[in-house]
Amino acid sequence: MQMKYFELIKPGTSHDFVKYRRVAVTISLIVNALILLGAAVWPKLNYGVDFAGGTELQVKFAKPVSPGDVREVVGHAGFGEPTVQEYGNKGENQFLIRVERIALLTPEAAAKVKQDVLQALPEAQLTGFHFDPEVGDKLDFTFKKPVDPAALQAAVLKAGVQAKEVRALTSREAQDQEYTVIAQGPGDKIGQLLRDKFGKDSVEVVRTEYVGPQVGKQLRNDGILSVIYAIGMILIYVGLRFDFRFSPGVVIALIHDAIVTLGYFVVTRHEFNLTAVTVILTVVGYSVNDTIVIYDRIRENAKRYKGKPLRDLINQSINEMLGRTILTSGATALSLVGLIVYGVGTIQDFALAMLVGIISGTYSTWYIASPMTIWLEEHMAQRKAIEAAKPQVKPAAKPPQQAAAR
Amino acid sequence: MDRSWYWKAGLIVAVTVAAIYALVPSWTYFRLPTDQRNESGVFEKARPKWAPSRHLNLGLDLQGGIHLVMGVEVDRAVREKAVRRAEELAADLDRKSIKGVDVKGDPDSGIVTVSGQGDALAQARRQISDDYPDMYIRRTGPTSFELAMKDDAVKQLKESAVDQAVKAIRNRVDKWGVSEPTIAKRGDSAILVQLPGYSNPEKAKELLGKTAQLEFKIADDEDRSVTQLKDLPPGITLDWDRYEGAGGALVTSPYLRAKDGLELRKFVQGKAPPGKEFGIQKVEERIARETYYRTYMLDRKAGMTGEYITDARVAFDNSPGEGNRPYVQVSFNRTGADLFEKLTTANVKKRMAIVLDDSVDSAPIIQGPIPGGVCSIHLGGLKPINEILQEAKDLALVLKSGALPAPVRILEERSVGASLGPELIRRGSLAAILGLFAVLLFMAVYYRFSGVVADVALILNGIVVLAVMALLDSTLTLPGIAGFVLTLGMAVDANVLINERIREEMKQGRSIASAVQTGYDKVFWTIFDGHVTALVAGFVIRAYGSGPVRGFATTLIIGLLASMFTSIVVTRAIVEWFVGHGKLHKAFSV
Repeated sequence: MQMKYFELIKPGTSHDFVKYRRVAVTISLIVNALILLGAAVWPKLNYGVDFAGGTELQVKFAKPVSPGDVREVVGHAGFGEPTVQEYGNKGENQFLIRVERIALLTPEAAAKVKQDVLQALPEAQLTGFHFDPEVGDKLDFTFKKPVDPAALQAAVLKAGVQAKEVRALTSREAQDQEYTVIAQGPGDKIGQLLRDKFGKDSVEVVRTEYVGPQVGKQLRNDGILSVIYAIGMILIYVGLRFDFRFSPGVVIALIHDAIVTLGYFVVTRHEFNLTAVTVILTVVGYSVNDTIVIYDRIRENAKRYKGKPLRDLINQSINEMLGRTILTSGATALSLVGLIVYGVGTIQDFALAMLVGIISGTYSTWYIASPMTIWLEEHMAQRKAIEAAKPQVKPAAKPPQQAAAR
Repeated sequence: MDRSWYWKAGLIVAVTVAAIYALVPSWTYFRLPTDQRNESGVFEKARPKWAPSRHLNLGLDLQGGIHLVMGVEVDRAVREKAVRRAEELAADLDRKSIKGVDVKGDPDSGIVTVSGQGDALAQARRQISDDYPDMYIRRTGPTSFELAMKDDAVKQLKESAVDQAVKAIRNRVDKWGVSEPTIAKRGDSAILVQLPGYSNPEKAKELLGKTAQLEFKIADDEDRSVTQLKDLPPGITLDWDRYEGAGGALVTSPYLRAKDGLELRKFVQGKAPPGKEFGIQKVEERIARETYYRTYMLDRKAGMTGEYITDARVAFDNSPGEGNRPYVQVSFNRTGADLFEKLTTANVKKRMAIVLDDSVDSAPIIQGPIPGGVCSIHLGGLKPINEILQEAKDLALVLKSGALPAPVRILEERSVGASLGPELIRRGSLAAILGLFAVLLFMAVYYRFSGVVADVALILNGIVVLAVMALLDSTLTLPGIAGFVLTLGMAVDANVLINERIREEMKQGRSIASAVQTGYDKVFWTIFDGHVTALVAGFVIRAYGSGPVRGFATTLIIGLLASMFTSIVVTRAIVEWFVGHGKLHKAFSV
């Protein structure tokens, strides 16, 4: 029965994938090394607030503003060099402003606050003062006598620190009186500065993200751990379902894809945040799928064509699955089109990085996972040969037996 | 067409109908105007009575709102407790007239130093091993020794500090009437707070960051002014309390009750007689599974504040007939003991409201004057022991917030203005629809008949994912939409695999029926493996991800599970039906 249908890859195609494995592995190694170098040394990943800690604001202006003006205003806030990026489409006048987490108060400034408070409120008898530069925005005062929080706020303001809040912690009689002063955060301050400069009604802060230092560290550790766990669990699953001989190939392909996806963020310098880690994890989950389909076919063909060299088996299996590999990757890529066109910010990055990951996943199945298996197989065969060679030496070491046999 | 086919077809129809049924409330919800749908009662009124009550929610990134992670300064609570114990020890030694011993607590390190000479020091030491089981001696010198809190006591203290802060935050959020807030412990010293639709981050931070305020206020049950309030809005009703008052006489006292706390609060605002105020309590009837709010008429001036409390804990009454009934034991410091005695003596047989941040937590009746600085609060009613125990724990937590403030600070804040949401929803839906149509079109063109079958399965997949999300009360976030789109691509992969295999089998000369059967059978495990590995990634993201990223993982996981059903079972049933009917044989194409 003859049927007509679209065929992307004509049956009987036989492209020698295995032949180019050395070239491919070399190129991949270089690319991966460059990406890792780029991520760690120069130009480095552009860490978002999720990992670096700090404050990020998405600000919408009613009228067109130049990024330079925004940068200048924010730069005067005293939070170091801000990152100002245009966000979304042209004409929306939206900006992403990011300031790194730096201590809002230096120990010197904190010491000055202490002096000023001592002078302003002598009768309250300041007995204790605590400032942790790691935290940076919090001052703890201990007095012998209760003070008026408003007076304390005024005293702190005089020392040049805009306090957002003054909190009385303990107010038990006959006991030390403790107060906490929280300095105004970068988010509030930047919003205020922008409003002062561009007019109160023409600035809208649509989104604020603040990540404290401990949380940033925690999120970064969790991110790294999650990628390692995911790869580890997939390794175990593949080992159980197939053969542990296949696992190294899968894992090296996975690491390759994860690094290439990371490469998207190194090259574009787009923000590397939680969503970026999510893409990498998704690529890991997706690209293993591709590799498994090929391995499945290799296993099936190995049963059918007993005695065929592994090299040929792999080549044949890749070729047989060529149509489906391209179609599948194509269909998944197609589903991302909408996100690439209509997505904004992180979601657009998500889709584009995913696209890079899909392409890398397809490539790595053909040129990385399979060659690794061949290499491992050849290595094992060599080992076996050496092992096999050993017993032949042994009898020679036992001349009495040999003599007896003769 | 064998029997199992009809079973499968039945299952598919059942799943489809159930999914559509589960999506009815979401449909109703999203058709409500954006600014009204989250107000209490609006959705309930609009929902068809026969439909389930759970609906899809929009995540914070899509509808605006605040995501906060608050850190509880547990170390500070521990240090303070150590200093408090030092004060207690000094008082104890004083009472036992052990002279010449100096006790000092260092508020920065939480270490208590006891110094003195010979015999007195030894006596102090004995006192500690007898009465201070939560402390240990960490260092001994010739004329002094150092005390610190034991590890398990520290652990317990930290836990209760976090619980206390959760309680205080829940209390405040409840007062604002934010619908469906999330308040959860995260790790051992942080609290996650999500307030969807709440648009004032500064106010939220300010209110949540405050240290809890505990007060005792006497209720005026003679006051009848509540009955004079005219025009009670619908939903607010007048009710009467009855209890045994002074001299065994029955006291009846009017109060207002309502389902909606915010509405009740608004209604009674400014309506109290001079010198009085309304206190509002949230009452949770666990057995009747009912929550309502009620008023108390309280003296405006607090009888006493919580700062005099030194400890509050759950104790058990072993006296005969009581059967280990839990109750709450509160201890006051010396000044507090005097104040409390005066307060209780003056108000015997009246109710005393325990007010935390302007919300009444409970209002026990004062049975008699309470001297000595230790007070027992018995929880009444004929409730099961478990429930009383839970209530006692809650009350102890509330009272402790007077004893030991657990300051919180903001570790992480993400807020989205309400104006950003609609734009993101528009773009997100456009992206999803465009992606979906691109895939649908591609499949139909490339595989024709089988492609259309796969498309039907894909659409069903989408419906099932949304329905399961609605049933699980999950929220739809922007990364969630991305996850949704991605599952579409992966679901299609299964059908590509199947169809390519069927083509291959047909090329080898098999009949359509046999090619379909072998095709599906042979690729099943391939698809299974692929889905499982992607699921592994999904679960890892869910376990480690935070906020919206978790939303991505949820949709990915649900989508993958649904895809195993739709792209294998559903397409196979449809294809087999067509192949099994001779007439339609011609229509089949892959």
